[in-house]
Amino acid sequence: MRSVDREDGPVKVTGAATYAADHHPDGLAYGYLLTSTVARGTILAMDTAQAEKAPGVIAIYTPFHPLELRPYAKEENGELTPPIQNTDVRYYGQAIGLVVAETFEQARDAAALVSTRCDAERPRASFTDGLPSAVGTSVVDVLADGVSSIDEALDAGDVTVTATYTTPAETHVAMEPHATVAFWTGDQVTVHTATQGVRLVVDRLSETLAMDPARFRVINPYVGGGFGNKWDMWPHTPLTVAAARALGRPVKTVLTREQVFTVVGHRPLTAQTVSLSAARDGTLVAVKNDGVSSKSASNGFHEQPANLSLALYGSANLHVSRKAVTLDVPATTIMRAPGESNGSFALESALDELAGELGMDPVDLRRKNDTPVHPATGLPWSSKHLAECYTVGAERFGWSRRSPRPGTVTDGDWLVGLGMATATYGAGRGQASINVRLRDDGRAVVSGTAADLGTGQSTVFAVLAADRLGIPVGRVVPELGDSATPPAANAGGSGSTSTNGPAVQLAADAAKEALVKLATEHEKSPFHGQEVTFSAGEVRSGGDGMPFGELLTSLGVAAVEATATSPRNPVRDHAFRSFGAHFCEVRVNRWTGEPRVTRWSCVVDAGTIVNATTARSQIVGGVVMGIGQALLEDLRIEPETGRFGNATMADYLVPINADIPPIDVEFLNYPDTLLSDLGARGIGELGNVGAAAAVANAVHNATGKRIRDLPITLDKLL
Amino acid sequence: MRAFDFAAPRDIADALGLAGDTSAYVAGGTTLVDLMKLDVLAPEQLIDINRLPLHGIRLGPDGLRIGALERMEDIARHDAVAACYPLISQALLSSASPQLRNMASIGGNLLQRTRCGYFRDVATPCNKRAPGSGCPAQSGDNRGHAILGTSASCAATHASDVAVALVALDASVRLRGAAGNANARADGERTVPLADFYLRPGDTPHVENVLRPGELITEVIVPPLEWARRSVYVKVRDRQSYEFALASAAVAVDLRGGAVHDARVAVGGVGTVPWRLPAVEAALRAGQSHEAAAALAAEGARPLAGNAFKGTLVQRVILRALTELAGPR
Repeated sequence: MRSVDREDGPVKVTGAATYAADHHPDGLAYGYLLTSTVARGTILAMDTAQAEKAPGVIAIYTPFHPLELRPYAKEENGELTPPIQNTDVRYYGQAIGLVVAETFEQARDAAALVSTRCDAERPRASFTDGLPSAVGTSVVDVLADGVSSIDEALDAGDVTVTATYTTPAETHVAMEPHATVAFWTGDQVTVHTATQGVRLVVDRLSETLAMDPARFRVINPYVGGGFGNKWDMWPHTPLTVAAARALGRPVKTVLTREQVFTVVGHRPLTAQTVSLSAARDGTLVAVKNDGVSSKSASNGFHEQPANLSLALYGSANLHVSRKAVTLDVPATTIMRAPGESNGSFALESALDELAGELGMDPVDLRRKNDTPVHPATGLPWSSKHLAECYTVGAERFGWSRRSPRPGTVTDGDWLVGLGMATATYGAGRGQASINVRLRDDGRAVVSGTAADLGTGQSTVFAVLAADRLGIPVGRVVPELGDSATPPAANAGGSGSTSTNGPAVQLAADAAKEALVKLATEHEKSPFHGQEVTFSAGEVRSGGDGMPFGELLTSLGVAAVEATATSPRNPVRDHAFRSFGAHFCEVRVNRWTGEPRVTRWSCVVDAGTIVNATTARSQIVGGVVMGIGQALLEDLRIEPETGRFGNATMADYLVPINADIPPIDVEFLNYPDTLLSDLGARGIGELGNVGAAAAVANAVHNATGKRIRDLPITLDKLL
Repeated sequence: MRAFDFAAPRDIADALGLAGDTSAYVAGGTTLVDLMKLDVLAPEQLIDINRLPLHGIRLGPDGLRIGALERMEDIARHDAVAACYPLISQALLSSASPQLRNMASIGGNLLQRTRCGYFRDVATPCNKRAPGSGCPAQSGDNRGHAILGTSASCAATHASDVAVALVALDASVRLRGAAGNANARADGERTVPLADFYLRPGDTPHVENVLRPGELITEVIVPPLEWARRSVYVKVRDRQSYEFALASAAVAVDLRGGAVHDARVAVGGVGTVPWRLPAVEAALRAGQSHEAAAALAAEGARPLAGNAFKGTLVQRVILRALTELAGPR
């Protein structure tokens, strides 16, 4: 495994990296969103007279004075309809207007002068109250021959556990707030906007502005975290682009921290009722998970948390159902490991409960039900080394020191518990195109529309291209996030490296071929007409070699380039997934109940690891987010008003450094050669899946208390 | 944020002369500027007091005197404070972050506003911010709210940590106002015990203390208490740092022959003002067990739907503090 420092590290820590909001084109005006303060109803009037007279105000757009936006053609994870085209209010904090002024402060202050009158209705804001009326999608039953229902199968086991697990709404709180800067040149528009994929924004803007995609250039090389909520395009972006057109000058809109909580989506609430039935030896005979998710009235996305129960442990009988409760709350959207993060909290907690009932070690129970084939489809896994994750993790962590009896280990005033859970996330490979340009300065530029959200994707590009070309990593220049470059994978679904990586390799090969062709065919080339090869960054013939930059310079050719496309994974007779195992220690204060995570080991089976340095950070980040999910994060909806009660970074708690112990990460690094020659699956979400359950299981081991309702705050342990 | 005038006087008389009904003093600005950005506060004039001669941390026979402009971090790290009043030092260090503590003054800390989400969001009603508009916290998001000293008008928690320690120590604040104020000396100066300085919300939650318009905190005075050397500030919260208290306890004990002879107990995170617990202190003086004494902590509590756990938690925090200082009993 290579370990390479982030190629974008120096520009980020010195502040030289230009994020979307860092662009200040000449003549820039500033937008500030107006947001609703009721959750459901109709806007009757908006009084903008005072605001229009405020210093610096250029324009105020509202449903009564809108910027025209066309309906979206496709459904994504964001809102179904573009902003301010009608007077409907579907959630508290919805964008209902845009104030544009000469400065940000003037726009903000004018926004405070707009008064809005609404005909408000009582919102549907309680997930619990909505559960009885949840609406379902398809049910999946996989039953053994002769078994007529999952409940019959559950009855046939020796030991059965059944419990309901609930998770709250969460939000992404990426460090970079969403921002869009737009400026028009004739009928062309350049957009700097925080996104997980510039192509997504081009597609969305071309739909809603009814313009040819070729007229948009969306640029976003640096992204300050996404976690899913920079996947779709959110209301401030089309408003800003349309305002810039209407006003004939550049406009920038940056969401406030508070607006980020409502305007750009959150992870839905879930409830899962899980039943596991096993033979006395631990063999699962039936797995049933009825999962429900909240869903915003403003969009269609909801999680299907029960699905993971189809994919992880072998069982002759499986059942999942997926339902949704519609609420008048901000958009529900994807957040790191959508469905699987919450799904694993329920399934992995239930496994721990079953292990307790069986008197079995939780690791042994998981080994017993490890399976070489996908439990629901029967397809063999392409490459699965989960058993080794358990073995290596247990050894590194010291799992044998765990007391099987909960509440029996103390250290001073602290109750100490150990817990574990399986990590997993789906894997795949889509189609991607990448361009590699070999320049006369000896550098290789690798470009494609991919995004680096802080994941290390650009460094992965550099490593793969450098290795293919035989040059130092520092001589590769990754250029990501420009819609004018070849279409590569957006950042999401743990698919960036698995999809873009093979394309980088193919493009580097194609660029080498192009160079070789030039070397042999160019009349002034010292290799003209010779048989040449390319290795270690040099064109070679016989004993002579010349670095490609030198050759290009001597020929007066600025660069040679090639674009290659790596196709979608054609393999249909195998199933693909990454796996891992979490082990953690939690301490709970015996007086005041606060839980603190004090040790962590995670062993990862995610195929080839391209760059261990950034891969480790990805896993650590997933675990940190899992600790937040387990102990802190809870976006509380006021049932009366539909307002988020803690929609600020002071009140919505995410972990700080003091909450995070040293995290040990080990990669098994077995290439998944059925997925690609590169053999890399994905690691973006994997570390998050199972992490919260590992904490909950450790809390149980420490205290004897089984908390099935996240987050596990001290009031539940007093 | 609304436009405002700005002045930075060099002496106290000038500052007092500038002050009026619509002005605000600013020192570190760590509360005021936030609230101005949120449109919660909109003073017409800011009077920057950082040039005023309100500095110094002095320990003498009459106790500890801290100039109102001393920064939280400097007080916390002061050797005499850490040695003689550990609870003050610990309370300060458990607050905010080093960056904020380097900016925030002790006078400003004592005047910091509540973290109630309704107070800080101008789109919602709040009796403290807009008298008579209502109190959504009574039925809304109230996990962090107070259980002691609340009213139907307000349940906002007092946010300061160090004020809890200071109330336990019978500290006072020296105030300067324009000359001729009633109950003040001719030069406009008066001294008020911190316990009397703060006002419970009642039906006027917008009136939080006894400061008169334009009056300035010049100094904090902590009387001598030899046995305050055996003291602790225990702060419990969901995460380990950078968060306000769910419950905290400032406790000092006079330990004689292994038994508690006397004690000071005040709690934070649970009251609308820093909350001294004389009943708990009396029980400890009377030789009752820690547990029996701590059980008196939540007497009179008026929990809301989301914060009922604080009644138990505050007792446990006191027990934890007593155990730390005096061993289990």
